[in-house]
Amino acid sequence: MKETLLLTKHMRENPQDSHLIDIYEKNNGYNAARKVLKENNPGEVIEEIKESNIRGRGGAGFPTGVKWGFLAEDEERYLVINADESEPGTFKDRILLERDPHQLIEGIIVTSFASNISKAFIYIRGEYAKPARRVQDAVEQAYEKGYLGKNIFNSGKDLDVVVHLGAGAYICGEETALLNSLEGRRGEPRLKPPYFPAVKGLYNKPTLVNNVETISSVPWIINNSGKDYSKLGVEGSTGTRIFSLSGHVNNPGNFEIEMGCSFGEFIDTFGKGIKENKSVKAYIPGGASAPWFTGSQLDIKMTIDDVADAGSMLGSGAVVVMDEDTNLVLAAKSIVSFFAHESCGQCTPCREGTTWLEMILDRIASGRGRTSDIDLLLDVCDNISPGLAWPPKMTTICPLGPSAVSPITSLMGSFRDEVESLLPKKVLINND
Amino acid sequence: MTENIKFTVDGKELEAKSGELLIEACEKSGIHIPRFCWHKRLDPVGMCRMCLVEVETPRGKALVPSCTTEITEDLVVDTESEVVTKAQEGILEFLLINHPLDCPVCDKAGECPLQDQTMAYGPGESRFVEEKRHFEKPIPISEVILLDRERCILCARCTRFSDEISGDPLIEFIQRGNKTEVNTFPNEPFRSYFSGNTVQICPVGALTSTSYRFKARPWDLKKVSSTCNCCSVGCSIELNTSQNKMLRILGEDNEFTNQGWLSDKGRYNFDYLHSENRVLNILSNSEGSFKEISIAEATTKIKDKIEELENPNIKFLIGSHSTNEEYFAINEIANYLNKDKYLSRDSSNVYFCDDLLFDGYFGDEYSQAKLEDLDSSETIVVWSEDIKDNLPILYLRIKKAVKNGTKLIVFGHTNTAIAGLADIYLGKDVVSNKFDLIVNPSEIEDLKNNIEGKKVTVVAGKSTVYQKKESLDKLINYLNDSSDLKVLNSFSKGNTFGALQNIDEVKGLNEFCNEFDSDAKNIVFTIGVNPVNSSHFAQAIKEKLTSSDFVISMDLFINETTELADLILPTTSLGEKEGTVTNIEMRVMKQNKILPAPGSTLSEWEYLTAIQSMLGVDVKYENESEINSYLVKEYKDQDQVPTFDNLNKPRNLFGVINRKDININTKDLEERDFSLLMVRRLYGDSTTQINSPSISMLGAGRFIEVNSSTAKKYGINEKVANFIQGSNSILINIDINEFLPDDLVIAPINRRGFENIDPSKDFEITEAKNREELSVN
Amino acid sequence: MSWDPKLIEKANEIIDLYPQKRSALGPLLYLAQEKEGYIDEESVQEISKLIGITEVQVKSVASFYTMYKQEPTGQYLLSVCKSISCEINNSREVINNIKEFTGLANNETDEDSTFTFEEVECIGACGGAPAVQVNYETVEGVTPTKALELCKYLKEEVPKVIVADELQEKFGGTKSFDWAIEDNSGTSSTAPGFQIIGTAEEK
Repeated sequence: MKETLLLTKHMRENPQDSHLIDIYEKNNGYNAARKVLKENNPGEVIEEIKESNIRGRGGAGFPTGVKWGFLAEDEERYLVINADESEPGTFKDRILLERDPHQLIEGIIVTSFASNISKAFIYIRGEYAKPARRVQDAVEQAYEKGYLGKNIFNSGKDLDVVVHLGAGAYICGEETALLNSLEGRRGEPRLKPPYFPAVKGLYNKPTLVNNVETISSVPWIINNSGKDYSKLGVEGSTGTRIFSLSGHVNNPGNFEIEMGCSFGEFIDTFGKGIKENKSVKAYIPGGASAPWFTGSQLDIKMTIDDVADAGSMLGSGAVVVMDEDTNLVLAAKSIVSFFAHESCGQCTPCREGTTWLEMILDRIASGRGRTSDIDLLLDVCDNISPGLAWPPKMTTICPLGPSAVSPITSLMGSFRDEVESLLPKKVLINND
Repeated sequence: MTENIKFTVDGKELEAKSGELLIEACEKSGIHIPRFCWHKRLDPVGMCRMCLVEVETPRGKALVPSCTTEITEDLVVDTESEVVTKAQEGILEFLLINHPLDCPVCDKAGECPLQDQTMAYGPGESRFVEEKRHFEKPIPISEVILLDRERCILCARCTRFSDEISGDPLIEFIQRGNKTEVNTFPNEPFRSYFSGNTVQICPVGALTSTSYRFKARPWDLKKVSSTCNCCSVGCSIELNTSQNKMLRILGEDNEFTNQGWLSDKGRYNFDYLHSENRVLNILSNSEGSFKEISIAEATTKIKDKIEELENPNIKFLIGSHSTNEEYFAINEIANYLNKDKYLSRDSSNVYFCDDLLFDGYFGDEYSQAKLEDLDSSETIVVWSEDIKDNLPILYLRIKKAVKNGTKLIVFGHTNTAIAGLADIYLGKDVVSNKFDLIVNPSEIEDLKNNIEGKKVTVVAGKSTVYQKKESLDKLINYLNDSSDLKVLNSFSKGNTFGALQNIDEVKGLNEFCNEFDSDAKNIVFTIGVNPVNSSHFAQAIKEKLTSSDFVISMDLFINETTELADLILPTTSLGEKEGTVTNIEMRVMKQNKILPAPGSTLSEWEYLTAIQSMLGVDVKYENESEINSYLVKEYKDQDQVPTFDNLNKPRNLFGVINRKDININTKDLEERDFSLLMVRRLYGDSTTQINSPSISMLGAGRFIEVNSSTAKKYGINEKVANFIQGSNSILINIDINEFLPDDLVIAPINRRGFENIDPSKDFEITEAKNREELSVN
Repeated sequence: MSWDPKLIEKANEIIDLYPQKRSALGPLLYLAQEKEGYIDEESVQEISKLIGITEVQVKSVASFYTMYKQEPTGQYLLSVCKSISCEINNSREVINNIKEFTGLANNETDEDSTFTFEEVECIGACGGAPAVQVNYETVEGVTPTKALELCKYLKEEVPKVIVADELQEKFGGTKSFDWAIEDNSGTSSTAPGFQIIGTAEEK
């Protein structure tokens, strides 16, 4: 199987200078923007996106066209690009920001036009300093050419783009927390209802929050058609996606494919198998929040719905492969610890629970576990995510709490013996 | 008008208004849903997750926080299902894993929502075996509040109160996740006029009051409802005592007045009740030394003196701490002793000690406002003394109204504390430094656009004693003609309106000074006042009192005024007497007795009736209730009279509004220049405050306020300076306030050091030379 | 030291980019970070005045985010990722090596202010695990041995501007993806190198 290059086509064809506006334009760049501004039919643009059936590439997978349709009427509306890529295992937005920033900018122009927005923010995580510089340079190049600012492309419309740096908080990837952060507040998620961004977003005004990859896909859709886009991939997971592959594979990296193949195929073809020819013990299909699949589940298809049906999520499209020698308890602890550190602290179960889970796992991993700890772990998880159901229910404000539960349910579900081997042996008294 | 809709909880069908919060609707129907972060008076945040309930949705049952869920038609709720019960246990277990086992030493024990909910909804044991979070404990975050971060359950009630309600966000969450703590900025303590409220609403013992810490257990306390006397809002309070000592005052939720909140002065200013400086026996002053005498001797002295002086002028200087019943008694005896007899206007001998007293707007042509009118008005207009300092809870009510969309227009220059809230602030272009309205109100576009044809509430009062009433008249009459106006006369001291309702004709200190005939024989009664301490007329009054032939003071302490008296009759105070008081809305509320009268103190009316008896006058009443039965006869609405019985009825818990004729007879001061605008601050050197160690330090600061160009003019470029007038030199802090006009200097009238300053004389501000003086007091 | 007029001017320029002043809080905190190496009390007071919120509100936001340092930092901020992909690719050993070389524990700065060491969560370089950052410039595929060499290089050569490409060439290994574009940009402070803040530099 091969990659299908839409998002990564330009950067592959012009590796050294894909980030420069002249090179981008030589490659059909900014023609989608020109087209929509000339035709001046925002409704049609939204229709194309709806027809493409593209689903959000951030992790939640919400149909983008539907999201655009929800945006409430108001004179003041905003577009915010969520470039706070912090889900462990994910680095696909990074390549788009670093190597094809103009594709994103063009997507922003089209999106803003379609939704009558004149101010857009690109919220880039603070740790992406180099990608942020690239994007800022590209923004400045676009301003210089009159593609951003006042009267863009001589259309009579204005569009301002501000690149805003985050400062080290995974929770700011959650859209309402991102808006709080952009407002200069603590990155705490807001309650939905009433704070649905489409109605009450940035500064309480209607706001569109979209992932980098989603908006970067827009120019292709406009240049070709929504229908063409929907023909790629499979139903329910149309178009192409960039998957980030890491862990114990020989060839980690970003790979743009149409969805539909199995994880096993993906890992073999693009990851070129496991290092030292080891076997897969477990793999994470969609970023650290996703429950694990075992090495005997490599035939699951890489689509949003297939993975959901199998009890996990395609999420941010990050595949992390763990070989047969991986200490899964430490792996789980690493993920739980991540969520405990990134918890914003607002709500009781996540703030207290995730740290408690980290502490218990720490005891177990270092040989100080007790036999009752497995049940305790699962019960604490149940108090964060009742029923340990999938899709998860939550006692928390946002899904971060339940995300911390995923590695533990995966660990106990399929690898309980690994955990038990670290606990004190049960003494069996035989009085015969 | 929202109609009632039906919804089901635990199988029971209930009704509530559409859009009401589920947790509140259930509460009203008697179904208690446990909670920590939700508070009826704060915006809900759904953070503690204790109030989770299950509701039916098209996709099955969902666990939702009831504090953020609104009632919708046919909502089906389960508050007792297994999932809910497990969640409740889980949340409590989570809260307790880091919560220290402090109950034996924690103030909150016995009235602690965490304890109560753990008993009712929590797991029996904790499964947490690791180390709990540790913080240094407790840390003082202000002079009156201590913070114990280990106990904090991060419900954010205190931070939300400070941000949303009081507008002093000086405490906030620091750090994130498990390491989150509440704290202040270093060197920026939690100095808010309302900080004490956070102690009351904190659901655990994380925030405690320095004055109450370790003093009692809630089951030891005797409790009674009463009404606060610090300002004329008359907040509903609960007095807590133990072993006949007042230990604590809490705010009660009176929907119409304070809605649960109190200012820190109302909350903490009560230590003086048990001060060792309190006068407990009648004192007779013979040549500078005080001798204890009996009431018989005292009343005899008075009678003898009146006879000796042969028809002397007998005048009454009254304060704002008396109850309505006491004012009634004062009125009776004042009339009896009035040489000119109360036959015509201008002959009253009762003078109320508020510098800012003026005739007010009480005629039939003015509609009197209630505090709830602030919420239902489209615009609020303010021209008065500083509301935040003198009517703090009114400030909170205005802030709340503004938050909900009411427009606020503020006239300068004494209300800069609410200038930040105001939609329109009318400063030097509209109001001169002498408080003349230099523009016709109808020509102020911003004002016109916001009041013409609209519902308006105006808070009206003189900003300074030097101000001419004319300016205010112009404004009020314009508003009255052009809008649907309601007036709140902003007389701010305690039971002013009780005095106005029960004294036939009230005059002010200006009239007292002008009408005082030093060549005649004069007897002066001072009742619960200390004008020699902090009044623009202090010097003049001191002269008059000194030259009087006989002065009888009824008060609690020996102070600047009472030390000039020939007889000091010690009186009862808050919690030691029963009576009614009237607030700024003409709402009559009850004050109740919970402490015995200390020593030989008596209530004011008891002294006055004793004097009357001695003078051979028939006294009609033997207790407060009887006095009350007389004074209620003059209320206009005879169906809702504020008798003690009526006020003790549950439906009258929040008082009854009732009006009487009000007669204030004052004149403007003669026009004079003043170089310094002296204003009252919330905390100061009043006798009760300096004798209340819990808060006396709060009124110690000395400062002036100027804008930056005035500061430059005086050559001030540091934060401290010396204020010099004559032989007075005060080390002061400089507060820069850009809302002030040029050349206006504001100084506190009620801070030690400023008592000898004459606002009509010149002063200097120089570089502070002697900094060692910069210690408090 | 309170902020000099030029810095205030820069701060106001940043404030003007946003519809509401408070949004500029993030970038202004980076200005303080660049100036002092951490968010000191004076900066909090200046920022509080510029934006119109209380000092504790500034501190509340600053202390929420890990990239705003609350204590003075050294010249080089060494951030080593310990999230899942790096964890299963031996980041532990990288961390231990750096700790041993610098003598620092997590979040500590050494006495001569050369290094501040911190263990961080996923920095988006998972394909190049184990990954580190020096002053937020990412170096991927840094083996435990190379990590030591990197530290030595920083200590001995004391480069003024940190450029990711340069360090990658010297001490890096597997990359998450082909970086392709030649890039000489970097930073010389512990605030991320970004044009709007004024911390982007070229070598």
